[in-house]
Amino acid sequence: MATVKQLPAGGVSAQATPHANPPSNHRRKRRWLGLAYLAPALVVYGFVVLVPAIQGVWLSFFHWNGITAASWAGLANYTGFLQDPALRQAIEHTLFFIVFFSLLPITLGLASAALTARKDVKGAAVYRWIIFLPQVLTPAVTAVAWKRVYAPDGPINSVLRAFGLDSLAHGWLGDYDWALPAIGLAGTWAAFGLCMVLFVAGTQAIPAELYDAARVDGAGPIREFLTVTLPGLRGQLAIAVTLTVLGAIRVFDIVWLTTRGGPGTSTITPTIVMYQRAFANPDVGAASAIGVVLALVSLVIALVVVRLSENGNR
Amino acid sequence: MISTREKIFNYAFLTLLAVSVLFPIVYILGVAISPSTSGTLDLGHPQWSNFATAWHQAGFTQYLRSSVIITGTVVVVSTALAVMSGYAFGVLGVVGEKALFPLVLFGIMIPMESIIVPLYYDFLAFDLTDGYQGIILAHIGTGVSFGAFWMRAAFRAVPASISESAEIDGAGSWTRLWRIYLPISRPAILTFVVLSFMWTWNDYFLSLILVAAPEHQPLTLGLGAFSGRRLVEVNLLAAAAVLMSLPIVGLYLFFQRQFIRGMLSGALKG
Repeated sequence: MATVKQLPAGGVSAQATPHANPPSNHRRKRRWLGLAYLAPALVVYGFVVLVPAIQGVWLSFFHWNGITAASWAGLANYTGFLQDPALRQAIEHTLFFIVFFSLLPITLGLASAALTARKDVKGAAVYRWIIFLPQVLTPAVTAVAWKRVYAPDGPINSVLRAFGLDSLAHGWLGDYDWALPAIGLAGTWAAFGLCMVLFVAGTQAIPAELYDAARVDGAGPIREFLTVTLPGLRGQLAIAVTLTVLGAIRVFDIVWLTTRGGPGTSTITPTIVMYQRAFANPDVGAASAIGVVLALVSLVIALVVVRLSENGNR
Repeated sequence: MISTREKIFNYAFLTLLAVSVLFPIVYILGVAISPSTSGTLDLGHPQWSNFATAWHQAGFTQYLRSSVIITGTVVVVSTALAVMSGYAFGVLGVVGEKALFPLVLFGIMIPMESIIVPLYYDFLAFDLTDGYQGIILAHIGTGVSFGAFWMRAAFRAVPASISESAEIDGAGSWTRLWRIYLPISRPAILTFVVLSFMWTWNDYFLSLILVAAPEHQPLTLGLGAFSGRRLVEVNLLAAAAVLMSLPIVGLYLFFQRQFIRGMLSGALKG
């Protein structure tokens, strides 16, 4: 990369070529200088991210309560996953959350991009501001808002009672069956704006000629969407899938601040299991093992999505 | 080309979306000014003193102080590190770049949740969980990857010829960074600043684990503590939540473009 930039510079120092290859010498010096510029960031990054990442792998092979001496566990912390009912439940909840945090927002985002894109809307900036707002709001604050919305005497139940459906009114977050979808819906609410704005911006980058050509060929709105819009949004889809799926896998704040994984374990997630293992009744090895698997899954997803979207571009 | 019918449908559709997005937010605003402590909406008797009462009861002065110190330091240092590492990767080149750049990108792809347990025990060993240093360091460290990635792209977009002519005139790498690259890349830097502010201000998870002492905890934890109290007064809780969001909403009002551009690029903090 840097080499490409320096090609023209080679011409400048060409007069000096009789000596021992000055351009590459110059370049080498420059790259050491680059390392010096990078060094402070690298040190902090190493201390905060790289070293703990390696330690996490190491710790996951031990039984350790955080205080007394650790003992070798081998793969016990990993094989223990299979028998851990809380964790199995947490993984099921993650799959459930992927539907609400990723699939639904992306589908809704695509639909609304298809419906509203390429049409002049006055005040589009205001709509965009509002629809994107949940992305920037503090999760601690949105948790307060959603807790209120779902409260036994909250607005949802008021509406139900107003329609005479008193039997359906209850505390949604305190219900074993309803707490999970209730949180899921809050996740859809938060992620949907990002997907929509992303896709609308994407459709604006698709050349208008493609749409004209589709029209000339007599394509209806659905075929136009499938043959022009969707392929044109490949890059944006990759970003949306990565961000939202990773968001579902690592979700903590909104769950912890609304239900703490409860009632019982009905909204427990892998990060909450990890938090409890690490700090409530420390089993640091098991918590680290969860962290390692979380990292591996995230890496694989990020790499697969990027690879898929690149292949499609060729 | 677009019929009036289509136009009306468009507006109706967008308005429906906007209303459903705004509903929980506006509702909590309403609760925040209602006199009822159980959280019943009562807009007929707005009680504006809720904000001041909530501020005092929740002890927000101290939490705000912590949030400002943490966020301020993190944004300044993170931005400096992002600029320098982006300059290294994007302009100067780095010894061992083929290994180092993927190594730095690794931090974008793994979530910070997966390193938090060992990080906590490291910080405990180094006595970093008491004051502000630990949480600040954690935020800066987890922001390095995106910063390097983002500023590298920004600096690579600057035509090399400008910098080369300055180099011939004898400008060193530091001068070129300040005189050429920084001024041209102001929009990208602003976007990074805004994102860094948002990530730090909004953070709950890192602070929950890495900040033990209440007097060093940021607003997000303060709100959590306030809502965890027995017999919580819901209207005050709502008022506190509203107060806490003001800085970020205000920033978003002024820098909508930067927020959206940054996050649409797939910005992820490790």
